[in-house]
Amino acid sequence: MTRRDCLKTAGTGFGMTALAQMLGAAANNTPPAGPLTPKAPHFAPKAKHVIFIFLNGGPSQVDTFDPKPLLTKYNGQPAPGGNVKTERKTGNLLRSPFEFKKYGKSGLEFSEIFSRLGGHADECCVIRSMFTERPNHEPSLLLMNSGDKLPGRPSMGSWLTYGLGSENQNLPGFVVLCPGFPVVGPQLWASTFLPAVYQGTYIPNNEKTPDKLVQYVRNPELKLPEQRTQLDLLSKLNQLHLARTGHDNELEAAIQSAEIAYRMQSEAPEVFDISKEPEKIRARYGDTNIGRGCLMALRLIEKGVRMVQIYHGDGQPWDSHDDIMAHKKLGNEADMGVSSLLEDLKLRGLLNDTLVILGGEFGRTPAVEVSGLVKVQNGRDHNSAGFSYVLAGGGVKGGYVHGATDDFGFKSVEKPVHVHDLHATILHLMGMDHTKLTYRYSGRDFRLTDVAGNVVHEIVA
Amino acid sequence: MRASRFAITAMFSALCSARAAVPANPAEFFEMKVRPVLADKCLGCHAGGKMGGLQLDTREHALAGGKSGPAIVAGDPDKSLLIQAIRQTHATLKMPPGGKLPDEQVNDIANWIKGGAVWPAGPAKPVQYTISQEQRNFWSFKPVANPAVPKVKNTKWALNDIDRFILAKLEEKGLTPAKPADRRTLIRRAYFDLTGLPPAPEQVDAFLADKSPNAFEKVLDTLLASPRYGERWGRFWLDIARYSDDKLNSTMEEPHPNAFRYRDWVINAFNSDMPYNTFAKAQIAGDLMPEKEKYQAGTGFYALSPEFQDDRVDATTRGFLALTVACAQCHNHKFDPIPQVDYYSMLGIFENSKMNEVPLAPKEVVDAYKKQQERMNAKRGEITEFVKQQSEQLADILSRRTASYLLAAAGDEPRGTLDQETLDKWKNYLKNPEKDHPYLKAWFAAKTPEDRRKAANEFQETLLAVNKEKKTVDDKNHIKLGLNPNRGDLSQADLVSLSRDKHVLWENIFGDRGVLHYGDGKVDRFLLGQWKENLELLRAELKGIEKDKLPEYPFLQAISDKPTLGKQKVWIRGDRGNQGELAPPRFLAILSPGEQKPFTHGSGRLELAEAMVSETNPLTPRVIVNRIWQHHFGQGIVRTPSNFGLQGDRPANPELLDYLATQFMQGGWSIKKLTRNIMLSAAYQESAETNEKGLNLDPENRFNWHYNRQRLDAEELRDAVLFLSGKLDLNTGGKAEKISDANVRRTVYCFVSRRKLDPALALFDFPNPNNTAEQRLATNVPLQRLFFMNNPWILSQAKGIALRVSTLGKTDEERLEQAYRIFYQRKPTVEEKKLGLEYVQHAGMTAWPLYMQVLLEANEFEFVD
Repeated sequence: MTRRDCLKTAGTGFGMTALAQMLGAAANNTPPAGPLTPKAPHFAPKAKHVIFIFLNGGPSQVDTFDPKPLLTKYNGQPAPGGNVKTERKTGNLLRSPFEFKKYGKSGLEFSEIFSRLGGHADECCVIRSMFTERPNHEPSLLLMNSGDKLPGRPSMGSWLTYGLGSENQNLPGFVVLCPGFPVVGPQLWASTFLPAVYQGTYIPNNEKTPDKLVQYVRNPELKLPEQRTQLDLLSKLNQLHLARTGHDNELEAAIQSAEIAYRMQSEAPEVFDISKEPEKIRARYGDTNIGRGCLMALRLIEKGVRMVQIYHGDGQPWDSHDDIMAHKKLGNEADMGVSSLLEDLKLRGLLNDTLVILGGEFGRTPAVEVSGLVKVQNGRDHNSAGFSYVLAGGGVKGGYVHGATDDFGFKSVEKPVHVHDLHATILHLMGMDHTKLTYRYSGRDFRLTDVAGNVVHEIVA
Repeated sequence: MRASRFAITAMFSALCSARAAVPANPAEFFEMKVRPVLADKCLGCHAGGKMGGLQLDTREHALAGGKSGPAIVAGDPDKSLLIQAIRQTHATLKMPPGGKLPDEQVNDIANWIKGGAVWPAGPAKPVQYTISQEQRNFWSFKPVANPAVPKVKNTKWALNDIDRFILAKLEEKGLTPAKPADRRTLIRRAYFDLTGLPPAPEQVDAFLADKSPNAFEKVLDTLLASPRYGERWGRFWLDIARYSDDKLNSTMEEPHPNAFRYRDWVINAFNSDMPYNTFAKAQIAGDLMPEKEKYQAGTGFYALSPEFQDDRVDATTRGFLALTVACAQCHNHKFDPIPQVDYYSMLGIFENSKMNEVPLAPKEVVDAYKKQQERMNAKRGEITEFVKQQSEQLADILSRRTASYLLAAAGDEPRGTLDQETLDKWKNYLKNPEKDHPYLKAWFAAKTPEDRRKAANEFQETLLAVNKEKKTVDDKNHIKLGLNPNRGDLSQADLVSLSRDKHVLWENIFGDRGVLHYGDGKVDRFLLGQWKENLELLRAELKGIEKDKLPEYPFLQAISDKPTLGKQKVWIRGDRGNQGELAPPRFLAILSPGEQKPFTHGSGRLELAEAMVSETNPLTPRVIVNRIWQHHFGQGIVRTPSNFGLQGDRPANPELLDYLATQFMQGGWSIKKLTRNIMLSAAYQESAETNEKGLNLDPENRFNWHYNRQRLDAEELRDAVLFLSGKLDLNTGGKAEKISDANVRRTVYCFVSRRKLDPALALFDFPNPNNTAEQRLATNVPLQRLFFMNNPWILSQAKGIALRVSTLGKTDEERLEQAYRIFYQRKPTVEEKKLGLEYVQHAGMTAWPLYMQVLLEANEFEFVD
């Protein structure tokens, strides 16, 4: 049975056997076949879950994960080879105001705004040679999230849940946490032509009460036992209807969905309720949106959710055109969240199975921005020619730096990694061949990597 | 069709190339394997740029080489500097800078040099593109046939010729048609199908009571004449037109407040049964047709589209022709006979068209509105400018007493004549010594009043100096910008600024949220005499202009030809920077009888539109007939309704498709006639019941041996719920409002957002308006059930329905029977009645709304048989 067939029979309905399974399922708790039922990967996976922490706006590589001593040396001078042309006018080289240090046995270098992550240096793989196609937010956000610069393609999380299903049938397979909305908005987690079940479930994680986080997860008027009575009536009427129509996949699937939905009401608020974690743990993550997001991600992954994506903030917080010092607060927030997340994933035995990804839509110029749109010249413009991504856990080679940018950090020059390559590698780590994970739409087989992408085998442990 | 072979020029690309190690045809090998790599990886620096003195744009230039010597030595790759550089074996030359080329490409280039470095002159050597007879014979490109109605064994079943085509297929496959649906099922089906709403009980009763042989026909005629019909069927076209009421603006909402005029035009076109050929033509070139006032609004198909020209080619060809011409953007189509040049011929037509706002008001009204806007903006500008001057002066004045404010804030000195609010703001500013205050270190370190006095004075001096420097910086930038602060190219302007710490200080004290800033409204209390009067006067003047504020005039979002037309060329490998041969505006080769003739009028849109609906184009009628069929039956005769190419589905019943297409064209391209014909067939009126034998022989029901049960789509669900609660507002047309509890209009009239689709619509598979959508999915996920279980809107609608039902009967039993009538158009069974009555009698006060909610959530409501 192909994935597509499975979707046809299971996605919109499922057979009598499945119904029988489902009726038995209440007793033994085995989930019946549905569109999110775990599916076998193409080969043995290195990771089973993904947490993608998205530093939206474009974090600067030379202030975070790609130290450039020459940039300090030539601070204030023109770049010898000229500047890479970016969206706006840039001027002379601008040193990083942040200090870099070596961490761990591997001696991986992180700047002071990611000093806590330094504690996990030996688990981190830093790709310093990322590049993308446009120095503008919208196409780059779309490319990083859906493999195409234009809107209309399914997001990576949609592809992952389409390909692998999810381990928990009482929760969505792909959860997106963002306080407000990133630039471009819900298009970044849309399933577009894949069935809607694979779209990201958006959770505004600036809301603090769990009931407000998940839409419609609580009945405002009924207690659970009352609702159970109501659903029992529904179930009986549906069974009578089914007896009249005869076996029908779709009708049976709808009956099953209602039971799952009922169980979700207990499970979903519980998992988003980070107040269930001890105060000590919460403090470690920091009382920030991204901190709470990381803690929620931990709890979701524990429950078997396939992919969680955390956007740092509303709009594009990392877009430091004016003043790179703005990176300090952002870095500290992200640093607390991510380092605590890695620590707890490890403590709970989940890090081996979970691929943690940290990065944005592109990087920033090593040269200062001097355009008429900035008030002060202490910031950096967008840079699509070179930037860094950090990967940790799930089958990634720890303490390893892959590729390099040029002396100042403008351009990826050694072992360049395109966004398609990153996507191919992520799918590979999840046990899938990116050329085989396809969906036929309008007579064409589509894939996340379109017609490109090479797996970067060197970063795989 | 004429079997002529004709050539058109086209480029091969790397994507559709064969893998040859030794160039058998060196020129072709160069075009396929070498030129694309040079273009992609080298020409950025080694063409006009001549980096290192080297140009790699012609063989001569490559042989001549650059500062390091000749780049290639024909016949000897190892001696060629180019090869050493791309193999990265050369001591210093390592190319390209973005990272080493894949070995395959390096080897290709080496093989090419080995083979003599054959380099045909010209931008690209045209390769003859020929459409083979086999390609012409592909089913969808063949002319529409007029097949004879087949003979069938069972002579009783068929109600019309559609049925004879279906039955012939069923008999051939050994299938038997399902028995006819019962009349209450049939009327529910027809109502949802044609109007997207359930029938009211009276309508059901009337139909059941009508024993005349044409009872169903009468129902259809009523429904086809109802405005509800266009609201339902127009919406399917809007799926294809990727209609939305806003733009995909990434940072903020950007509504198109006049978009609804296109939506209403489409709905009206369906209601008035505008012939489909006219309907199609109007959308492509309504502005160029006679009686353009009737048709121009149709061009909203493009005017409201995402502003990518390739999307226009895609939406046009998939929407009207079910061809994926956009796949030929970088290379010839890999499967269908569509050369790359055809894509650019069509692209050029849209490149030569532009957005056009067509006012729907007399010129005086438009001018008056524009004039008022100008006056308002001018007056607002005056106010802003005056306030800005006063604010700046005030901040300057206040800043000269900075030391006193600091000392008063510390309690060292009395407030005296200092301004209280300003003092409080200073206190607030100084509250957090940890903050970024590099110039206040001495102040925070000071322990004695004396030290503080010294530090305060020093800080004041610094502050005044920084403020002065800021003014100098602003003046310099002013001059650099040519005294125009509103220049469009600020992003490329090279300006100066304060150093970072000084800037932070200036922003903290003088910036818009700074300690000393008093803006519009706040600065007022510092103004006296003439200054105060002036500000009041300016505001009064603005009020005077705004008092009789004119509403914005309505306009159509349309397109028109550009005044000066460009010449479109092929973009080699889809790269705008790499232009090839000319792509004259003309129709697709495969659909042009004989030679392709270039369009000669303006952009060519009108000629394109005419070619689209020409009787010699077999695709347009087949495609629309299939789309209509799909929405009636839940699946098309071809199940890839926007792809009739090689990669698409094959028709399950090609004769039926052609019969329908022929009838359609002969019937004047009338969609209503087609619909009537389809719905009067026995095939349409079959029941949804299945059987073992049928499921084994034709599990996907490709041959229509039974009716396909269908889940209500997003609009039907919302509209039907509102219909049952009696709240549905059936007014037609007009401005779109977002979905909300207060908005009870039909969903087709609600705001559709490309930026942020309404989450409930998205949950129930409403198509994403960034794409042209060919069909509705009907997923089934727990989140949909949660919506029905817990959404406050559903709960309130259930209450509304309960209230309505409570008036329909005296006893619970009567009410229950009435509820079944309005929900399901039938009487409850004994068991259903028993279950319902038990529930309402035991579940307490709120039982009826909860019971109504159950009836809404039930499969019988959400599916149509």
